[in-house]
Amino acid sequence: NTWGRILTWGYSCSLREEEDPTRKGICYFYPEETPIDKQELLCGQLAGAGRCVSELSSSPVHVLRLRKNKFAIRMKDDFFWALSCSVDVPTASVCELLDHLISLFCFYNGSVRQSYQLYRQDTLAARWAQYLSHHQGSTDLHHIFSCMKTIDSTNVDPLLLLKAALILQACQRCPLVLAGCILFRGRVVSTQMSPALTMKVMVHESETFIKSLISYGAYCLSRAHSTPCKDSQPRKPRLSRTLSDTLSTDSDPSDPGSSQSPLKSPCSSCRSSSDNAFSPGNADQLLSSNSPLPNGKLEEHEDSFYHSFHTNGGDITDNSMNSLGLEANCINGGTEGYCRRMLDFRGAGETQASHDGSMRRKSDHMLPSSGTGSPDSQHNDSLMPMMLYLHRVKGLVLALLVEKHFLDDSASMEEVYHSSLAALNGLEAHLRSVSPGPPAAQGPYIFAHFDSIQSTLTSNLSGRPGVVHERPFVRATSLLHSHFCNTETLQEAIIRSAGAAVYGTRSVAQETYFLQHGGSVKNSGIPNHQDSAFSLPTKARHRLLKHGINLL
Amino acid sequence: MKCLLIASESAEVLFYWTDPEFQQNVQQQYGASQEEGQGLPAFEDSISTLFAPIIISCITMVDRLGDSYASFTTENNHIYVLHQFDECLYIAVNGDGDEDEDDLRRKIYVMKKMIEVLFGMVTLSTLLRKLRPQDTEQRGRLWNQLQSLLETYSHLRENDQSFLVEAVERLIHPTLCEQCIEFLERRLVQQLNSSAERAGEEVMHAFILVHTKLLAFYSRNASSLVTSDLLTLIIMAQNMYPSSTDLEDAGPEDAESTSGSGPDVFYTPEPSPTEGDSNDIPVFEFVDPDIQMAEDSLQTLRVPPPDPSTPQRVFLEVSLKEGLYPMMPHSMYCLPLWPGISLVLLTKIPTSGLAMSIYVFLEAFAKLEKRLREGHEGSAATRGQPAISDLRGKLDKFIKALGPSDIQSVPLLNVWTEFKNRAFAKGGPGFTKLIPWCKNMRMQLCGIFRQCFLIDSGSRDAPRHLSPGLQERAQTLVEKLMDWKEFLLVKSKRNITMYLEEFPGLIHFICVDRSTGQMISPSLNVTEHSTSELGKGPVAQFIKKKVWGLVNTTRRYLQKGYSTVTLRDGDFYFCYFLWFENETQGFKLDPVDLPILPDDSAPIGMLSWDYYKLRRFYSKNHQGEVVRCFELLTIHLGIIPTEIILQHCRQLASKLWEPSRNPLL
Repeated sequence: NTWGRILTWGYSCSLREEEDPTRKGICYFYPEETPIDKQELLCGQLAGAGRCVSELSSSPVHVLRLRKNKFAIRMKDDFFWALSCSVDVPTASVCELLDHLISLFCFYNGSVRQSYQLYRQDTLAARWAQYLSHHQGSTDLHHIFSCMKTIDSTNVDPLLLLKAALILQACQRCPLVLAGCILFRGRVVSTQMSPALTMKVMVHESETFIKSLISYGAYCLSRAHSTPCKDSQPRKPRLSRTLSDTLSTDSDPSDPGSSQSPLKSPCSSCRSSSDNAFSPGNADQLLSSNSPLPNGKLEEHEDSFYHSFHTNGGDITDNSMNSLGLEANCINGGTEGYCRRMLDFRGAGETQASHDGSMRRKSDHMLPSSGTGSPDSQHNDSLMPMMLYLHRVKGLVLALLVEKHFLDDSASMEEVYHSSLAALNGLEAHLRSVSPGPPAAQGPYIFAHFDSIQSTLTSNLSGRPGVVHERPFVRATSLLHSHFCNTETLQEAIIRSAGAAVYGTRSVAQETYFLQHGGSVKNSGIPNHQDSAFSLPTKARHRLLKHGINLL
Repeated sequence: MKCLLIASESAEVLFYWTDPEFQQNVQQQYGASQEEGQGLPAFEDSISTLFAPIIISCITMVDRLGDSYASFTTENNHIYVLHQFDECLYIAVNGDGDEDEDDLRRKIYVMKKMIEVLFGMVTLSTLLRKLRPQDTEQRGRLWNQLQSLLETYSHLRENDQSFLVEAVERLIHPTLCEQCIEFLERRLVQQLNSSAERAGEEVMHAFILVHTKLLAFYSRNASSLVTSDLLTLIIMAQNMYPSSTDLEDAGPEDAESTSGSGPDVFYTPEPSPTEGDSNDIPVFEFVDPDIQMAEDSLQTLRVPPPDPSTPQRVFLEVSLKEGLYPMMPHSMYCLPLWPGISLVLLTKIPTSGLAMSIYVFLEAFAKLEKRLREGHEGSAATRGQPAISDLRGKLDKFIKALGPSDIQSVPLLNVWTEFKNRAFAKGGPGFTKLIPWCKNMRMQLCGIFRQCFLIDSGSRDAPRHLSPGLQERAQTLVEKLMDWKEFLLVKSKRNITMYLEEFPGLIHFICVDRSTGQMISPSLNVTEHSTSELGKGPVAQFIKKKVWGLVNTTRRYLQKGYSTVTLRDGDFYFCYFLWFENETQGFKLDPVDLPILPDDSAPIGMLSWDYYKLRRFYSKNHQGEVVRCFELLTIHLGIIPTEIILQHCRQLASKLWEPSRNPLL
């Protein structure tokens, strides 16, 4: 288990609320079976000491270390988050992960504060649990680099990747479609969205995938005017790597300063996905009902169906109460309308009632009170509603971020649906036939190659926990990665303990780590140019060529 | 914004040091008025109020979770490092980004080390009272002393390579060193020890410091001084006679222009045909305004220099046949010879046998308490240590011997009687419920220790230190060095030169022999006026920054078990190696798995805790052999081929410690 615990704790600065028992304030605590006393103690002490330090330094606490544990800390609004991971994950990565989790929550639920006013705590706790469990499946390496899971492109015909990219491009002919990605069995095939955004979409997708394809929920997305929840590594969203119109003006993604500014520009008028002001949005899960899907009702929908849902307008916090109320109303009005239409479209008469019912139930919760928007607006995270359109063909999913009124535009919807249907079916059949193959044959060496722009990882590591001989590699990689993160000028490094020597190198866009197995090299540690550790760079260059990695 | 704070478990501030910025910040937040005369106590109160919640939370965490805070980092990069030693919680804060977590943790450990050297075994139990005297004036004096020591250390840590790597740097001049050692032995130590004016003290160690570098070191009876103690003594010597005090000798203009200089001012040694220290014009170019402010504010607090003839009581580790005795009382005489050069004498005081007994008793009670805490009861609690009856007899005798002296031994006797009643009385409770009494005994023993070694004996008839006359004589004896004075001062700034031709592309190196705790490295002069191999001014400053960064980086890797590190960083190529050698046969030993230490482990170095003692791991496999441990750091130009760089490293590693083959001599 790579997780320590996450705790989110509603914490108010006002005296009155401070007197409330701590346990009431605990919104979510992982592991959930932790005795409540211990939860209370930990939350109370960490939040209390954290606040004290924050006051002394007039700045919120970011990282808190205990002797045996370390926590990434976020203090925002009246909330306090703490996340701890296994010790091998570098501190910077834990911070990134926590930011990701929070922004993920905002993506599907709207602002944290508002969510806790609108929904029952246990409902939201279930969602935290869902987001967490999605990440628990990842290997340590994935945590270290905070990267996406992609399909193994070495096994896949490049033409298929091209085809996937073309499908996405074709969908964009509809001006209401902003950007999309195609996922296969929980892995990215092609994406036009930034890695951070793709990873958010994947959480929902993989969840439904795991739930054996017959469950789905209603999702609303919000579109951000600005960075919604603080993204630890706000990157300018890249369009699909196969897209020809990738912005050449994109600045270095490792430079958060330059990438942040475009995110701040309002983008209510943006329509196309090439608009790079697009950023991780905010969504609200309105329905978590796992209704069975209609089978055989409509021929063409047997395996392939899509759903898209609508939004909670309460997140729009433009400091204008009027627009807020207005938005919420019209959306609520639209919800059922669309719901019905969607169900009609699918011809799933049987399930209509249950859907309608639950939708209405949720809608009641959703009515935002006019006052809730204001606290959030201080934090600049006004969020814009958006939609997530999902079209599933067995293990394959087309996920599109669309403008809110896409729902009202049945012509566009049908156009997108029909234009991609055949292509998706074909792609799915091809991908399914590609045998997964052995996970990259383990040679006499281990390597990991991280593409920091696309946020992808290539490695021949088994990734199974408990593979003893891989531990030294993961540990060294973790150390070197933090070193690379902290030292801009560092280009390459060799580190050697008695047992293992690891070579790490990085360029603007990538980091590569390499370890050569082989009989323990006799060396005393004294400088010696014949020492095999120093031949690692040459070996890495040769060996990795066949993995398509060019270190020259 | 910096601060170091020591607090007791009851959240009482036992000591603090802050820089003016931190003080200002606290006062602003607290809104405390800074009225004349009230400034100090008011600030003390506000700082203790501000930190109290953290301290209390820390104690709660230990009590209830068995874990406690190691550090906090805020978004604006303020770092708070916390560490608890027994009942004392140390908190170090930095908000200006020039120290990282490891640096702060090191500062805490070094502070603890300095307190141990100053207060000895008292730190084992009753430190609390000692660090916070009730009397405000006394408290001010004590805190000033500690604050000034801490600042001296920080300054050395930031500017002196030997404090960066925590090893002693020697002046490399074999002939001169040899002559000096011989001189110290034959002329100085023997003469002093045979004099009647020595008041029972016996000179054990004598050494000559040129700035922070060691010119010669002589010890009697093959006893030796551990590196951590020696480094602490050098800090104390620097603190006592900081080079900046000599500013007054300089002309008023110069004094003005250099008023911001720290205690470790760099001199430009110029040939001075005439006597007169005034020719030693301090040159200090790089003055950070904050540092200057800190120094200025320090001036107002600085206590008048102590009577030079009164030695400083220090507590040092002594290794005897019977075993290792930490914190044995010594007297330290720091005699200034010329500005920048001083003679340090360490004497064993006549009553030091008492300290050994107290240490043995303290150990015994600590062990007993530990066993009782672990749940052993009855006779099981006393297993594994010298027979308890033996201890009983010894302690009885010890207390009896104290009787006639003017040491207040009654409380100890009372507690001991009570202890015996409980432990040995027939039908008594035996060795149960004795934990508080063990604690009490330790406290009483520390009380005796304090009376014996820490309270001024001004009222005593006989002087208890070398007479001033004798000290003066010692000073004049060494004045034979006069002829070498200028050479030594220059040498201390230009210790190693001439390596550029031999090793083209090599920019800088540091080589450390961890078995002897000594280092060799070219000097890094960062001032505008003194040009070294590294150039001057900003260039040297840049490389200095690289060196400091490299040492920190390699320590982080070493902490995680990596003993070889090479880095290509910008235009430079860095190498770091740690290896072991067998002294007698000279062959290299296979590397062992170095321990992987947690992030908050004691800092790697020698000053506060000797990390390199791990060479003893080897001794298990190599019985009876002396295992030596070496470290080498190099900085090369990045364009030099790696093979050549590694060849250079190899050459340096193999030749540097053999004077006959050392290419730099």
